[in-house]
Amino acid sequence: MRTTPWYRTMDYVTPLLWLALVAIGLTAIYSTTHGPASEFLLETVRQNFSRQLTWAGICVVGIVVALLLPVRFYQTGAFFIYAGSLLLLVMALLFGREINGAKSWLTLGPMNLQVSELAKVGTVLAVAQLLASKRPGADNIRYAVMAVVLIVIPGVLIVLQNDTGTALVFFGLIPIMLFWSGLPLSTVLLVVSPALAGYIAIWSKLAGALFAVAFTLGMYLTTRERHLTIFAGLFTAAPVAALSLLLTRVLQPYQVARIRSFTNPEAEEFRQGVGFHLVQSKAAIGSGGLTGKGFMQGTQTRGGFVPEQSTDFIFSVIGEEFGFLGTALVLLLFAFLLIRLVRLGVQMKHPFGTLVAVGAAGIYLIHIFINIGMVTGLLPVIGIPLPFLSYGGSALLANTGMLAIVLSLYMRRDDFSIYGY
Amino acid sequence: MEDYRIRVRFFIGIIAGVLVLLGLRLVQLQLVESQVYSGTSRDNAVREVRVQPARGVIYDRNGTLMVDNEPIYTVTVTPQYFEEDRIGLLADLLGVPDSVVVRKLRAARQWSAFRPSPLFQEVPFEVYSRLQENLYRLPGVSFEIRQKRRYQTAARAAHALGYIREISQRQLEAARSRGYRQGDLIGQTGLEKYYEDAMRGTMGSEFVLVNRFGREVMPFRNGLEDTPPLSGYDLYLTLDHRVQALAESLFVNKRGGAVAIDPQTGEILALVSKPDYDPDLFSRTVPPEVWTYLTRSPERPMFNRATMSGMPPGSTWKPFMALLALQEGLIRPTETVFCPGYHPLGRGRMFRCMHVHGAINVKQAIQHSCNTFFFEMMLRTDVNTFSDYAHRFGFGETAPTDLLEQAPGLIPDSAYFNRTYPRGWTVGYSINLGIGQGDMTVTPLQLANYVATIANGGTLHAPHLVRKLVRAETGEERRPDLPPPRPTGIRPEHFQLVREGMRLVMEQGTGAHLQIPNIPSGAKTGTAQNAGKDHSIFIMFAPFENPQIAIGIVVENAGFGGTAAGPIASFMAEQYLTGQIATTPQRRWLLNRTLNLRSDPIPGTEPSTDLAGD
Repeated sequence: MRTTPWYRTMDYVTPLLWLALVAIGLTAIYSTTHGPASEFLLETVRQNFSRQLTWAGICVVGIVVALLLPVRFYQTGAFFIYAGSLLLLVMALLFGREINGAKSWLTLGPMNLQVSELAKVGTVLAVAQLLASKRPGADNIRYAVMAVVLIVIPGVLIVLQNDTGTALVFFGLIPIMLFWSGLPLSTVLLVVSPALAGYIAIWSKLAGALFAVAFTLGMYLTTRERHLTIFAGLFTAAPVAALSLLLTRVLQPYQVARIRSFTNPEAEEFRQGVGFHLVQSKAAIGSGGLTGKGFMQGTQTRGGFVPEQSTDFIFSVIGEEFGFLGTALVLLLFAFLLIRLVRLGVQMKHPFGTLVAVGAAGIYLIHIFINIGMVTGLLPVIGIPLPFLSYGGSALLANTGMLAIVLSLYMRRDDFSIYGY
Repeated sequence: MEDYRIRVRFFIGIIAGVLVLLGLRLVQLQLVESQVYSGTSRDNAVREVRVQPARGVIYDRNGTLMVDNEPIYTVTVTPQYFEEDRIGLLADLLGVPDSVVVRKLRAARQWSAFRPSPLFQEVPFEVYSRLQENLYRLPGVSFEIRQKRRYQTAARAAHALGYIREISQRQLEAARSRGYRQGDLIGQTGLEKYYEDAMRGTMGSEFVLVNRFGREVMPFRNGLEDTPPLSGYDLYLTLDHRVQALAESLFVNKRGGAVAIDPQTGEILALVSKPDYDPDLFSRTVPPEVWTYLTRSPERPMFNRATMSGMPPGSTWKPFMALLALQEGLIRPTETVFCPGYHPLGRGRMFRCMHVHGAINVKQAIQHSCNTFFFEMMLRTDVNTFSDYAHRFGFGETAPTDLLEQAPGLIPDSAYFNRTYPRGWTVGYSINLGIGQGDMTVTPLQLANYVATIANGGTLHAPHLVRKLVRAETGEERRPDLPPPRPTGIRPEHFQLVREGMRLVMEQGTGAHLQIPNIPSGAKTGTAQNAGKDHSIFIMFAPFENPQIAIGIVVENAGFGGTAAGPIASFMAEQYLTGQIATTPQRRWLLNRTLNLRSDPIPGTEPSTDLAGD
């Protein structure tokens, strides 16, 4: 039963943040595809701006549609949407088009849809519905395992599609959803620890080993639990050992180079090969300085030195042409958006709404961290887009869709049946 | 519930932490290390394109433009960016069949798809402008504009001006540090080489953005950092292009060299060496048969005869001997020597004279070219005094001036004779030097400067080709560094006496038919014996009072001095002094005869056809 009109319960800040981010993205895409240098680009790349503009228009329609749908639609539909996503993933695997080596595209009339992007929405909804339906006092671990299974199934399908980057986002979602499922913090940390240990070990084996010791010790000192400490030791020492073995014995040199290159892209062994992206991307961002070279004035952008600059490396365009002021603005907008999402989720006072909101925020956070970490040379080159900014219709649609669902749930937060906390 | 709140805070903390971490990384890249990355990015994407300055042009002594530059347009194509369906349009604009464009495009693609290659060389200006208007419809098509020398007057002056040509690999290695690059033009001989640094100008720079294929995309910062090129200095020559052109035309079918000098300053008014070549030949690939002719022909068209061909001066040497003898006191102006038709030392078999002159004084000896008299003068001196005086007139050495290609010639001294005749030598070896024969050689340039010194009364100027260098854009002016004039140390009255002897040559002697109408002058004829027909040699100055032009000239294998060399000198002087050639029947007859005269083929060779542009 609704007591207040919809426009009183609507959140207006989030759409504005969305609009600002999309506008910045469109500006940067315009810069990469227009101007005197663009005549040397492929015809298909030159149309990126107008296509992304069209997609933004479609997204506005999508937001309106999402706002019109009732809360119950998302709750009861969550598993159906999830199942549909899995079906699409399987179809892409069987009949999909291969673009940039990943077989994750389905052709739908004039559009190419990257179904792995769309699957994120279904997965977040399904996990939220699963965890929200948990009775108080139920076995946390059982639900946690079920949630992990829900996430791992699409993740594996996407790995099979040869799109490791997108799959990584799914696996990154695991600790976030576990965290919100009510598992103790120490357990969640335990889940994250292998990734941390592995990352550090890529830089230096010694540092990785030291981290393993410190983490294990820390776990023991804070929890005094034998099992957790043993797991902590195993979860951190194993990745360090495994990576050392992989990097020195198992992997081919080109694979090692791909993993290691970000730690020193300028090195002679990398700079013409896998390091090229990073050298150019860092040069673009670094040379932007405080105020940037100006819109349409970036030499790296004009010359097309940064590969994939309208998609995965869009941030380097912003860094070069608008400088630190531009990049800081983007980070601030993201910070506002994510924190806003978490707060909306909290204010919904219903676990489904909360979990969808923090799930969306978590997915964005993983994207932002990996993407900007990649273009600034903190992380290896993992090809995933920057939410709302990178060129790419499916990703924009999926990311906007999650946002719209959160907005819709928030707007109709009074419609949630009264149970939960 | 409490736990839930902690989780919210913790999660927000993670979000903030990740974003702060990324922000710090951006601070590092964009604020702290920005300089480093600016450098990387600039090295990457900004290319400096050199803008060639206009090479200095060349004016003659009266300000007539002799040499300037003209652009030549070459159509280039970068196959990767060219659209095949524009072949028809391009062919129409160029006025060639489609098939030609197709064929050339294929060749260009084979060379490189991404780099521009020349499609049509040296297209006319109309085609260039037609294409320029349609360039927007022809992606991948561009132009290469190069400068080429354009010779504006009838005077070729090939050996004086020299030529420019694309820099060779060897030259490039030496000149790279001075900013030369592959494909640049560089002066190879003559003034073009001597004044290369001044005429070349200062290279300009344009900064352009290139993409990662190295293709130029757009100007960098709208050309804010570009520097325009600075044109080279223009040369203002001492040459008179009409005298030069006249001399060149009179030399038709002849070999030899001629130099005309202003005796008051040492300015070279004309410098001719024949056969010559068309300097324009070197602005493109020289056809092999022409190259063979230029470098292998026994006629040696590239050889600067005016400054490098040494030969005995013959009787033109006699004024010198007279000056030496007078200054050394070997003879008094009125004293006579008896000529029985030979010098007694040769007992009538050697050291002969042309006539029996009887008792003869210095002036008469010059007028009648008496061998006996000058054999006697040589006997009265020694080779070291001889050498000393010859050097005072610039013989036996190169002139310290802007003429790059020079030969010193040969003036013997006792050391030379000791070296050449180690078994000993007598006065019989050196007596021939008295009449300009035997072991000595001089060049036309040296002869001209020698007459100039006689004409001006004893001052040796450095002969030179350039009066001043002017940079048109800025008005900066430079004058060539010339060594100060050198006095010969011979008394003026001796010069006066010798000049009078030379006047008699023109009025009553061997040069009587060469008189310039109404302008008295002084001269001396000479011949140099060799394997073939005699070389014809002539020295001359005019007008007799206050001389303005002095000429030394050699025509190879063309006979007596008054026959071939003399008329050319006479006409050159007349042209210079009066601006025209008088049309009296006498002069016209002489002109025709001179034009029809030929040098005999070089002894032992067949006459060859001039392939170098006559």
